[in-house]
Amino acid sequence: MITVENLIKSYRSNRVLHGIDHAQERGEAVFLIGPSGCGKSTFLRCLNQLEIADAGRITIDGVSVEGGRPPRNGEERERQRQLRLRAGMVFQSFNLFPHLTALENITLSPQVVHGLAPAEAEARARALLARVGLAAKADAYPGQLSGGQQQRVAIARALAMEPRVMLFDEPTSALDPELRDEVLQVMRGLAEDGMTMIVVTHEMQFARDMATRVLFFDAGRVAESGPPEQIFSAPQLDRTREFLKRSATVGGR
Amino acid sequence: MSSLPAVGRRASLLLACLLPIFTDTVSRAETNDPLAVIRARGELLWGADAEGGAPYVYPDPEHPENLIGFEYDLADALAARMGVKARMVQNQWEQLIPALDRGNFDIILNGLEITPENQQHITLSRPYYVYAQQIVVRRDTGGLARMADLVGRPVGVLASSAAQRLLQRAPGVDLRIYPGNVESLRDLKARRIEAALLDLPIALHYAKPDPALKLSGTPFAPGYYGIGVRRADTNLLAELNRQIAALAADHTLEQIYRKYGLWDERQADLGNYHAQTVQKQAAISTIREWRKYLPPLLWGAVTTVELSVLAMLVAVAAGLVVVLVRLYAPPPFSWLARAYVEVVRGTPLLIQLFLIYYGLPEIGIKFNAFAAAVLGLGLNYAASEAENYRAGLQAIPRGQTEAALALGMTRAQTLRRVLIPQAVRLVIPPVTNDFIAMFKDSSIVSVITMVELTKVYGMLAMSTYDYIGLGLMTAAIYFLLSYPASLGAAWLERRLAQNDHR
Repeated sequence: MITVENLIKSYRSNRVLHGIDHAQERGEAVFLIGPSGCGKSTFLRCLNQLEIADAGRITIDGVSVEGGRPPRNGEERERQRQLRLRAGMVFQSFNLFPHLTALENITLSPQVVHGLAPAEAEARARALLARVGLAAKADAYPGQLSGGQQQRVAIARALAMEPRVMLFDEPTSALDPELRDEVLQVMRGLAEDGMTMIVVTHEMQFARDMATRVLFFDAGRVAESGPPEQIFSAPQLDRTREFLKRSATVGGR
Repeated sequence: MSSLPAVGRRASLLLACLLPIFTDTVSRAETNDPLAVIRARGELLWGADAEGGAPYVYPDPEHPENLIGFEYDLADALAARMGVKARMVQNQWEQLIPALDRGNFDIILNGLEITPENQQHITLSRPYYVYAQQIVVRRDTGGLARMADLVGRPVGVLASSAAQRLLQRAPGVDLRIYPGNVESLRDLKARRIEAALLDLPIALHYAKPDPALKLSGTPFAPGYYGIGVRRADTNLLAELNRQIAALAADHTLEQIYRKYGLWDERQADLGNYHAQTVQKQAAISTIREWRKYLPPLLWGAVTTVELSVLAMLVAVAAGLVVVLVRLYAPPPFSWLARAYVEVVRGTPLLIQLFLIYYGLPEIGIKFNAFAAAVLGLGLNYAASEAENYRAGLQAIPRGQTEAALALGMTRAQTLRRVLIPQAVRLVIPPVTNDFIAMFKDSSIVSVITMVELTKVYGMLAMSTYDYIGLGLMTAAIYFLLSYPASLGAAWLERRLAQNDHR
């Protein structure tokens, strides 16, 4: 489903990804944990081509993109777009379109990108809003919604494009503790429905409950990986242990 | 407390040092003895416009750093007789009388016609030259030899000249008013006008040697040039009159005029001049006759509104193209767009208008004055709108673009569906402000013969000399038109703020 081979990324002289390899099956929920600046968000953004890797190859559901440089011709740009269409992205800061209602946020790209008829797009959007528990907020603007509600709309917006994999980039980090659960609840539902997902998070308990596999990122490398019981209960590396201990003391983040 | 007077003294000292910066060059101390002031200074300051000023006063073609001209020689001769040196003070021709009134120089010596209009605010000396009006046409034009022949045809004149006054009173002439003599002859050759009516010395100097032009018919409507002096400066006037008579008597005038090819039999008439009493127009008199003066002003306002609305449409559309190319097109194009913005912002609008209207015809692109004005203003403001848009687009958080791209939209779709709709809200206030600014700035297009509100004001003020009354009416019209636009902008801003649910 997802294959990443030797992904390398630097910002100027600072190398943030040192050749990441990763393979993931359909239906797997992979959680990326690690200290700030370890490269886990960059990895996620490379998957969705918001960052262009310096080298390496990314394949999602049969569509491959090589790192090295931004797409230069129409064919390369189209391949990049196809890759993006296979991966839905949820951002830390939601990034809803403030000039559109919740419903319009969700119907926009199916209409613009897939040419879906407005009525069909709306029906799909209303179903998705119901799924994230916000059927009543269809006509609200993002500014009228709480952070948790905005993030749920953002998840519905990504799902409307029917991606093969959902990428979550610290989806609850910008939320007050009491608003996190409603978002985690929606993600739990997705995982239970068998959605393939990659989640960058500081929610250790959630990772432990939901992950099929956990990758511990450290200094641009996958330092340790395995099933959650192993990583959280019997980590192999001192660094992993230290990180988990520190996370526990700052309130489970 | 005790230091307060010291502070006061220091402040007034500072003020005394600064004052000369803010006041005009010639002190208008209430001496009533300008002659003494001039002699003490050792210089006679004379105001004139050397720009396109041949043969009156102009840069020597051989040595452009030196000025020459029959009035330059005359000023030297006059000053020599008064025992001082002459120094020319450059001043835009149309504004010479207000500048003299403000005290920028002692006298005006620059083809000032002895007319009642010119004597409303200042006094004129006895004449030093007899001019006449000369029709100039293209070499291939037949007829057009008399005033009556000009009816119904586009005719160019110099702003505020005797020719403008003459034709303003002749109904049916399509009058085009130019900021300089060179421009009207250039437009004559570019076939924008059929004829130009000029003071004879100008026609002799500029048109006669030009193979594309010819003088048509005999000169008519003779008049006198006199030296302009402030009303209060009576002893200076007497001195000037005495010296002019002396220069005529000893044939100095004749020598100077012969040197420039300007001597003719009319000059014999100089001695026969008898000053006439001038009826003085009361200030603010036109307001009482507003029924007469308001309609032409309103017609000028219609042109101003048409011009600024069309120019703003050009600016809004062209600005969008420029900013999109600058931000999203590949390098050679984005550099061009950036260069466009920098060059247009970094050069005066006046120069741009001159280039479009007077320059482009030389490479075969000829716009009429209205089109040139709309294009000039529009393309100038396009640079400013492009910068407004750029600020608006760049104020939108990066996450918006990322979210749209992540959803599979192309760059163009992202721009159209996500970025531009948000930028519009941010950009409306500065763009409406620009519109109001352009509305007022549009008066500059009078330099390319557009007759809009400010120009109508200038023309009416020139013939009535009521700058105050007409100025108040004109300002009121500008204000009544621009204030609703300000209110509209404020309303729009409030509405957008309400709709913005961020």
